[in-house]
This record gives sequence, C-alpha cells and structure tokens, in this order.
Amino acid sequence: MIPLTHVLAISIGLFAIGLFGALSRRNAIGILMAIELLLNATALNLVAFNAYLPSAPAGGQALGQTVTIFVIGIAAAGAIVGLALILAVYRQTKTISADEIHLLKG
Amino acid sequence: MTPPWLVTLLSRAAWGSFYLLGGITLLGALGVVLTRNLFHSALCLAVALLGVAGLYLYLAAEFLAVAQVLIYVGAILTLLVFGVMLTARIADPTVPALNRLAWAAALVAGGIGWVFWRAVAATPGLPARPSVVVSLETLGRGLVTTYVLPFEVLSLILIGALVGAICIARRPS
Repeated sequence: MIPLTHVLAISIGLFAIGLFGALSRRNAIGILMAIELLLNATALNLVAFNAYLPSAPAGGQALGQTVTIFVIGIAAAGAIVGLALILAVYRQTKTISADEIHLLKG
Repeated sequence: MTPPWLVTLLSRAAWGSFYLLGGITLLGALGVVLTRNLFHSALCLAVALLGVAGLYLYLAAEFLAVAQVLIYVGAILTLLVFGVMLTARIADPTVPALNRLAWAAALVAGGIGWVFWRAVAATPGLPARPSVVVSLETLGRGLVTTYVLPFEVLSLILIGALVGAICIARRPS
C-alpha cells in the first residue's frame, strides 16, 4: 500500500530539518531538541527497513526494532547529560545562548 | 460481516491518514527549529515525537510506539521542559531563533537531504508494502538471548549518564 520510499522520504525530511536546527539554533536547548529529531529520524529509518525487508539474522526478524530500542535509550542518555551540562553552564554564565558561551575563545 | 464498501473506505482512510500523519510530523519538526519561544518549540517536539509513534504503528511496531510515547514524550520531553523552565528567558521577543549561519545551515541540510533522496530513489527493488510482522515475543527473546550484551551495556550507559548528570549539575557545595 505505502511504498518504502515514501516512509524513507519522511525519515529523510526529519533528518534534514533536525540537521538544520542543530546547526542554526541559537539556544542550547533548541539544539538539543533538534538532535532528538535527528535520532528519531534514524530510528524511523531502522523500523521502516525492518518492516519492509524480510531478513534472517540470528535472533529472528526483529533486529531493526531491537536496535531502535537501543537508539531510544542512548538518546535518553544523551539528553540527560546534555541538559546537565547546560544547567551547569547556565549557573556559571547566566546564559544559554550558544553564541555567548565562548569562555575558551582566545 | 463488514460490507465491502466499508472495507474499501477504511483501507483508503488508513492509506490517506499515513500521509496526514507524516505531514503533521514534518510540520512539528519545522515548528521545533523555527519558533522563537522555547516552550512552543518543546510542544512542537511533542507533536513530532507523537507523529513518529503513530508512524511506528503503521510499521507493525506496536511495542516501539508505546515505548516511544513513554520514553520520549513522557521522560525526555519532560526533562527538556524542565531545562527550559529552569534556564531560559522563554519569551524574549528581541532574540531571533536562528543564528547568523542559518542560510548556510539550510543549504547544507537541504543538500544532505537531497543526496539521501537521490540515493533512495536510485535504489531498485524497494518493496511497496510492508511484509514483516514482529511479535513481541521475538523482540523480548532477542533482547535476553542474542542481544543481551548491548542490552546490559545500555543499562550501564544509562546509570553512567544518571550519575554523571547529577555530578555535573550539582550545586557546588
């Protein structure tokens, strides 16, 4: 019914929008949100290939979904540490605009 | 006994609502990167994540859809909203949302998306309908037999992230 290319088009669109946000948002938490979009795009890609292409890995046909569980877990870990870093920097410099955090700049 | 016109109508509606859901997801993603107000950005991220969870339902990944809602929308988004509330001047109308490199970033992101799309469009033989239905038993059995090592390493990563975050964000005493 729905070709694989259409699902991949949605995943590519999410990836491009997330990449644009990660490169151009001024706010550090905005950058974190765009990174979550990037990870979601890859997870959607994995699940789509799992659903459309039958394969026979060792553990049954659920390799794509299993890796997606790991991607979701690692995204959670990344968001946790990223937010802790942002909080620490905010406490120090009272700003979270990525343009104004340049303490290491010469 | 469902009448055939109802079956056709429901299958057409399911087909159409897939594209509607994809469009809502992409619009939510655009809202994440373009709005000035950080809280609105977090809400648009919730829309995008819920859209992706709905797309998982189309791809016969029901457990992943529920896990996505619970973990991403329920935990990670709540964490992001916490961060927004604790740090930002949320509704500052004078600060633009995007930095000076926004046009170059759009060019790079658009270029990479175009390259990916050319790669996908040039691949022959991509199937037109999903064929694999993964049972929850297969998923669970795989996690504790074949993929047990990454599973345990993931829990170690999460413990490390938790402890590290507490150490980083602790008030200096």
